[in-house]
Amino acid sequence: MSQFPVQKNRRARTVVNQAADGSRIKLADPAVKVTEWVLSYADLSDAEATALLGFYAAAEGTLNGFTFLDPVGNLLAWSDQLDQADWQKDPLLSLTPGIADPRGGTQAWRLSNSGGAEQGIGQTLAAPGAYQYCLSAYVRAAAATSVGLTAGSQAAQQMATSEWTRIAWTFSGDAQATSVRFGIEIGAGGVVEVYGLQVEAQMTASGYKASTLGGVYEDAHLGDDVLTITSTDVNRHACTVKIIHANHL
Amino acid sequence: MAAFPKLKTNAIAQYPVARRAQFQNQTVRFVDGSEQRYRDSAGPRLEWDIQLSELDEGELAAIEEFFLASQGAFGSFSFTDPWDGQVYDNCSVAADDLAFLTVAEMRGSAKFTVVRNI
Repeated sequence: MSQFPVQKNRRARTVVNQAADGSRIKLADPAVKVTEWVLSYADLSDAEATALLGFYAAAEGTLNGFTFLDPVGNLLAWSDQLDQADWQKDPLLSLTPGIADPRGGTQAWRLSNSGGAEQGIGQTLAAPGAYQYCLSAYVRAAAATSVGLTAGSQAAQQMATSEWTRIAWTFSGDAQATSVRFGIEIGAGGVVEVYGLQVEAQMTASGYKASTLGGVYEDAHLGDDVLTITSTDVNRHACTVKIIHANHL
Repeated sequence: MAAFPKLKTNAIAQYPVARRAQFQNQTVRFVDGSEQRYRDSAGPRLEWDIQLSELDEGELAAIEEFFLASQGAFGSFSFTDPWDGQVYDNCSVAADDLAFLTVAEMRGSAKFTVVRNI
């Protein structure tokens, strides 16, 4: 979706009243959360440059909104807090927080399945199904256990051992789908410790990024009405694209 | 109170780090040329310019989440002065903007100023 370097800016709004003695009274404006990306593309082919130009034309510059997936973020919300409302849990799966994680903290969770069939936990993202996604997680189990990574209606079985292991699965779904459910499931009677659930719109997993807001930005807009594509050679083009998302607009 | 996130190495900052102390004094000058001075603030305003580079994805995400939780310049947290290890309660990020740059895998950077509220 993007190339390095990627610049990402976060912007909030705080009203500040500074008194004569230098002290300040602050008021937050929680409605204002602006996120901006500056994507620099190089060595694009003719087809890629044409596709980008076509997207600009379809969006009519800054006019029309679109769904943007953060290229440097974890698409899952509350990735370290599986008891948040964003997660949907099967009824016979119990969650235990505060388990020691592979980074030396206590952000891992123990998943215990007391049912007679597979039980899981997942999150539905309003992300287009046509993309390739990589779902990854750190898993550990006292006895070697099979763990299912699920995306949409598909699942991939991976093994959890007594050591923390990062498992990953690349998934491409139904091109027509407008949402995808990602999750992890364990078999009947299984107990698995899980940390660092992450979904990215790319082929392989990058380093784990703990997330609260998630990385799916609906109604994002292009930041400029102008797109300048520079041809640097035959079938080689470069450009910079700015994308902005403001939750108060 | 929330604490400013440390890097994987347990460091607060990387070189170069600038530290500023700013006093706010007033001077009254009399007709005979003498002066009377007084403090016009509760204490010195301390600021630290933090520039972080070569961060991995987890470190960069931790700083981003910290900025979101602080709601920009609004939230306050405790900050350990990287010069002498003294912990200052009631510090804030100076601005409502925070820029992150990722130039390659495990090579992120961020730059911001922390201020001690008075």
